[in-house]
Amino acid sequence: MEKVSTDTQKYWEALKEVMDPEFPISVVDMGLIYDIKKNGDEIDITMTYTAVSCACMEWIESDIKKRLLEEEEVKTVNINVVWDPPWTVDRLSPEGREKLKYWGVSAR
Amino acid sequence: MDKAALLKEKVQNGFIVEGLEDMNEEYLNALKQTLLIVGDTELLSIPPLLTVYDQAPTLNSKITALAIMQDEIGHAHIAYRLLKDLGEDVDDLLYNREPHRWKNPYAFDFELSNWIEFGVFNAFFDRAGYTLLGDAFEHTSYGPWKRALVKVDKEELFHLRNGEVIMRTAMQDPELREEVQKAVDWMFLMALEFFGVADGLKSRSAQLEYRLKGRTNDELRQKWLSTAVPFCESIGVKVPAHYDEQQQKYVLDVPFPCKFDPVNKKWLFDQPDTWENVIKRFKQRGPKNKQFVERIQKGAKELEQLRKEVV
Repeated sequence: MEKVSTDTQKYWEALKEVMDPEFPISVVDMGLIYDIKKNGDEIDITMTYTAVSCACMEWIESDIKKRLLEEEEVKTVNINVVWDPPWTVDRLSPEGREKLKYWGVSAR
Repeated sequence: MDKAALLKEKVQNGFIVEGLEDMNEEYLNALKQTLLIVGDTELLSIPPLLTVYDQAPTLNSKITALAIMQDEIGHAHIAYRLLKDLGEDVDDLLYNREPHRWKNPYAFDFELSNWIEFGVFNAFFDRAGYTLLGDAFEHTSYGPWKRALVKVDKEELFHLRNGEVIMRTAMQDPELREEVQKAVDWMFLMALEFFGVADGLKSRSAQLEYRLKGRTNDELRQKWLSTAVPFCESIGVKVPAHYDEQQQKYVLDVPFPCKFDPVNKKWLFDQPDTWENVIKRFKQRGPKNKQFVERIQKGAKELEQLRKEVV
């Protein structure tokens, strides 16, 4: 078995290109991505959504898969959605917070 | 310099109108007319979407559809609220206005045939809304509207992206592929009609002179084409327009304006038309105009009836 790689920086960077469907903020800056693991040619994503009623779960998952599969070495993307810990505004990155502020959305 | 000319000059130089005291009557009328078109368009986008809402392929896409309709109600609310602040009786406008006096686009007076048309509706008509309101957000001289449009702009982008996702996904399925093409065939020119008569036929526009919007009808049409055509080409949908290098703009490969058969939802490309006739067609309204407006008014009318019975 191949060693589970901890060097997943490039996938975090890649997911910074996957945008929230409304605001031009990435899923990373939104704080939706909890963990990325590489296992051979598979990527395991642990993530959450801002709400269980999020209208765009399938859409965002499909965008995430599409982007990661653009990386040559990635053959499979597994997405594991968790609700614990729950998402709160505290998970927004400073960059995400600034962008929301610019668009007039409260991040408190 | 008279008052109107002075106001026109001021707004062209960046003056932001905040209240009635900053306007003249012509400005107020043009603003009200614009906001009524916007409010009616947002609100009456919902009945056609509802005709196929129960065909959503998954629960999550149904939730997305609901979120979109909720957004549209919110956008309509903004426009009507601004009208209220300008002295209009919004309840009267909403619940006592006859169907043919609503100002939504002709394209919204039709039932949709399937879920794919929901997608094309989002990708084309919400794109038209995004183009028009994006222009207003960028250029409008009316401060309260400009500020309210920040949120609208982002939400419309979400709707049009939803449309693109539905279209792109459907194009990978040979059967649905045909449905996408069929929907595009009637909805493409419909979207182009949103932007109104050709510039050459307009003697003047209070909307432009008072800077309620920034770009002309034809410029906005070009803006819509500049994103809609490349998107359709990228997923393999045929559209009756292409970019002409020589003219440096998008040109249509079919007559526009053109006669339309509302029963079969088909453009009659062998029958070019005039804008004058198109306006007549708009005024005659499409097949579901009455039914859709009555749906919006039903609850208020029923409640009014109940109140009468109780007294």
